[in-house]
Amino acid sequence: MKPAAFDYLAADSLDAAAAALSRAGGDGKVLAGGQSLMPMLNFRLVRPSILIDINRIPGLAYIEATDNAVRVGALTRHHAIETSPVVKAHLPVLTAAMQHVAHLAIRNRGTIGGSLSHADPAAELPMMALLLDARIAIQSYGGRRTEQARDFFVGSLATSLGEDEIVTDVEFPRLAPGTGWAFEEVARRSGDFALAAVGVTISVRDGKADQVRIGMMGVGETPLRAPQAEALLSGRTVDGALLDEAVASVRSVVEPNSDLHASGEYRRHLVGVLARRAIETAWRRAIGDLQ
Amino acid sequence: MTEVPGQTAADLALDDRQTRPKNIGARIKRTEDPRLLTGRGTYVDDRQARGMLHVAFRRSDHAHARILSIDAAAARAVPGVAAVLTAGDLADDAVPVHAVSRMANYYATPIRALASDKVRFVGEPVVAVVAESRYVAEDACELIEIGYDPLPVVVDPEAAVRADAPLLHEEAGTNILVQREFKRGDFEAEMFAAPVRVKGRFRFHRKTPTAMENRSYLAEYDGGRDELVLHSSTQVPGIIRNALSEALGMPGHRLRVIAPEVGGGFGGKASLYPEELVVALAARKLGRPVKWTSDRMEDLTATSHGFDETIDAEMGLDHEGRVMALTADVIGDVGAYSIYPWTCALEPVQVVSFLPGPYRIQNYRGTVRAVATCKAPTGPYRGVGRPISTFVTERLLDMAAHRIGIDPRDIRLKNFIQDHEFPYRIGSGIVWDRSSFTDCLEAACKAVDYDALRRRQAEARAAGRWFGVGIASYAELTGIGSRISVAPGMPLNTGTETARIRIDTTGGITAAFGIASHGQGLETTLAQVVADKLGVRVEDVRIIQGDSAAVPNPTGTYASRSTVLASGAATLAARTLRAKVFKAAAHLLDASADDLVAEDGRIYVPHTNKSTTFKDVARAVYLEMGRLPGEAREELEAAGTYDPVLGTTTSASHVAVLDIDPATYAIRLEKFVVAEDCGRLINPLIVDGQVHGGVAQGIGAALYEEVVYDDDGQILTASLVDYVVPAASEIPPMQVVHMQTTSPAIGGFRGMGEGGTIGAPAAIANAVSDALAPLGIEIDELPVTPERLFRLIQAARSRTGDQE
Ligand SMILES: Cc1cc2nc3c(=O)[nH]c(=O)nc-3n(C[C@H](O)[C@H](O)[C@H](O)COP(=O)(O)OP(=O)(O)OC[C@H]3O[C@@H](n4cnc5c(N)ncnc54)[C@H](O)[C@@H]3O)c2cc1C
Repeated sequence: MKPAAFDYLAADSLDAAAAALSRAGGDGKVLAGGQSLMPMLNFRLVRPSILIDINRIPGLAYIEATDNAVRVGALTRHHAIETSPVVKAHLPVLTAAMQHVAHLAIRNRGTIGGSLSHADPAAELPMMALLLDARIAIQSYGGRRTEQARDFFVGSLATSLGEDEIVTDVEFPRLAPGTGWAFEEVARRSGDFALAAVGVTISVRDGKADQVRIGMMGVGETPLRAPQAEALLSGRTVDGALLDEAVASVRSVVEPNSDLHASGEYRRHLVGVLARRAIETAWRRAIGDLQ
Repeated sequence: MTEVPGQTAADLALDDRQTRPKNIGARIKRTEDPRLLTGRGTYVDDRQARGMLHVAFRRSDHAHARILSIDAAAARAVPGVAAVLTAGDLADDAVPVHAVSRMANYYATPIRALASDKVRFVGEPVVAVVAESRYVAEDACELIEIGYDPLPVVVDPEAAVRADAPLLHEEAGTNILVQREFKRGDFEAEMFAAPVRVKGRFRFHRKTPTAMENRSYLAEYDGGRDELVLHSSTQVPGIIRNALSEALGMPGHRLRVIAPEVGGGFGGKASLYPEELVVALAARKLGRPVKWTSDRMEDLTATSHGFDETIDAEMGLDHEGRVMALTADVIGDVGAYSIYPWTCALEPVQVVSFLPGPYRIQNYRGTVRAVATCKAPTGPYRGVGRPISTFVTERLLDMAAHRIGIDPRDIRLKNFIQDHEFPYRIGSGIVWDRSSFTDCLEAACKAVDYDALRRRQAEARAAGRWFGVGIASYAELTGIGSRISVAPGMPLNTGTETARIRIDTTGGITAAFGIASHGQGLETTLAQVVADKLGVRVEDVRIIQGDSAAVPNPTGTYASRSTVLASGAATLAARTLRAKVFKAAAHLLDASADDLVAEDGRIYVPHTNKSTTFKDVARAVYLEMGRLPGEAREELEAAGTYDPVLGTTTSASHVAVLDIDPATYAIRLEKFVVAEDCGRLINPLIVDGQVHGGVAQGIGAALYEEVVYDDDGQILTASLVDYVVPAASEIPPMQVVHMQTTSPAIGGFRGMGEGGTIGAPAAIANAVSDALAPLGIEIDELPVTPERLFRLIQAARSRTGDQE
């Protein structure tokens, strides 16, 4: 379990990294926290000709609040997001989700840029990016662009990133004050990738659900939103009957895969259970019934 | 009770008079830990040797195939490759070893360094590349071309026993590598007469030991002296030395196997491995040090697996819940080879040996077939057979209690063998010596406040919550001696242990043993015993173990034997040595040896100012010739060999408390209580640690761990993402209660290294069944994963029309 031979470059700037990646002509790999890439190298599942290490590039790890968003640099470690007061103040659902990402040792190394680029369909950060309508900033030798999270994840471990592109930062629109939120996950062990998880945000106007967002993971090829269920809840008061409808809707739209840990059927069951709990909790937070 | 040699009233009285024991029974911190916890332990892979080469294996990716051709030309041409070895290249260097046995109906498969002719499981080593680095070796491995002719694959053990099944070992003429039957009493008539009968088909899935340290071997060959030293992360350096001697044709005094720090074994490092043979052979052939360290994928695919049985069992009882008869048919899926030296019979035969458990079950029949399949061989795994027998018997008892309408605790109390009935021969022929069967269960129930839990359960059920309490009681044979170990007729029997204790010229005390501690803290416990028996401090005693050169008959550590046997040997050796020291000291102090007391390294006559030290006695004996007459200047060295003949009975009761989320079906263990009787405790801290670790592994077997092969014999659990081992966060708070019924062994000790793993799966299976009793669910398959629970609950709900 040793990687095949590769060259190594510790880039000192984004420009240098982008140039090297471009030179590699599709054969290079960015190395961030290494928590997903190193195992793949050791299994020889990937055989890049060169690893471009971005860990020493200054100014790539930060969390800052702008007027209406929270910007997170690509090299920000999971643990920094988990413990950030800025995130907790403006995106409490993200703080909650981060507790479920792996174990502390991995959270100390793993980065948001790596997690989004790796795009595991059962990973928390991709789902959070989708749930919170994040915008992902991308740089290549040729220039810069941004992509909405909903367009970024295109399949299991697949994104719209070009082979020469690097994620530089992620911008999460802040949640409006008073927005209700919840995150519910089931994994086999604490720190494992989720069998299924659901994140919800709900804002309330005139006692009725207004903006409703439901994100799901572990139940498809990419993280998913549940637009039908979101529409179902909008403009209504959440009660048992409505929850039943939402659960049925969520279950009907997912096509989860089976693997060693859970069948598609069980995952479908779980996503309904978790959706019920998350919607209920988010609603109670939104109407001030729960802190 | 008859007196045991080494443990007579006179022996004990002498020990009492001559020493002031203060270490046996004390919670002493492990003396190994400072070096291990600060990263200063030296494991095999930490060792470097000049000119060392590294091995990578090209392993079979077929479950069953004939090897047609091996083209290694490209691999040989890679710069840095020293050799590429196939079975053909090693044909003249070694002979295959066989785990022979006197058992009838048994076939011993040959064990070779590399597959020759055929491969029989995915992961079997076929070619070894020896190179300057592991990187180069792995690069070269990829270039080897092996032509295979695929053969029909045998994965399902029940299909493997059919007459038309493809054979793994054609020479055997069958896939049933061994078949046995145990019978006692008129089980047929009693079963027929029993008014209550419960039965089931139970499945205990395959597991793998997953020690923290993967297997690692480093061989160094000195051509000038024709000497080979193998550093091996093994539990059994002595047994490996013997096997190498046979395979390589070298006498034991030119062969030395050293097990330095070993990071856990759990049975997975207790057998001879092909990789061990390859490393030794390559070092001798190439004249350079050769190392191989398993990676995790190799560990999961090619270290011996454990368990894997299907059991059809039935229990007959009277109306009060007294067991009248028990019958069971066991199929053990033992994988592709019969492992050395234990044979493939070890695991499945122990299932039928232990099924009657601690209960008065006189009418018993147990049959077992060990069946070869295209999977990694099974070998010893912590608990061996007993986790499975306990699972089955304890489940049947709970099912019966439920049927009859009595409490699970009471049905056990009713059936336990009672104190006045020991020694007691159970249905399979095993003899239990006196152990606290009843007291353990009562103590466990008291510690957990069983009655309060039942009240909580009633409340939980009324509120629609699933809350379960599960009991498991068992007895096991530990520290087995000559008579038991000879029974299966294996290539070597290890019913004795030797200790050699010596005091050198500086007064340093060294005690050498044939065992091989790999996490059990035996350096500490044995030092406690030696210190008490000699009358010195624990820190005065250095323990040598894990080295085949330490004693003439080196063995290893397995089967909950080391403390019982090695402590007994240490006691015998220390008594002899103490007599020599006292003889010299008596001269030095001008006193009678009978009046001397040894304490903390000092030897004195009580109530006088006459005193000397072990150190001074050593000087006087060895270095200061004028101080002692010749006859008092004996070499300060003594050996003792101990054979507990039968062994000791260890027993325990476990109680698991859990709840199940009624929507996600996630199981949350709330608490786990163990009341165990391992006789006299040497170090309660270590005993607690062994119980905690064992229970954690039992929790793994109950809820998480399962090796999975697909229909083509491909292993699907080849990484720790897919083979799910519980971590600290999955382990609940534990409480351990100790009963101390002294055993007939020297010191009154009993073995206890495996017990946690034996009781926990059954206790959890019972607790889950108890929680789900409202749905009528009986757990008959472990691990009970969320997926299995999902299916069971969905099925039950569709039966009852109940909704979530
Ligand atoms: C035992 C274990 C458990 C885990 N459990 C979870 C879990 O429960 N939930 C979860 O979400 N994750 C989990 N992870 C994954 C972890 O979160 C990783 O850190 C994360 O997926 C990848 O981040 P990284 O910084 O380590 O990326 P790396 O491993 O360095 O890279 C991953 C991939 O992304 C690419 N990449 C990295 N950075 C960039 C960039 N800025 N631009 C473009 N491409 C880039 C790399 O080239 C590579 O292809 C687990 C990992 C382990 C080892």
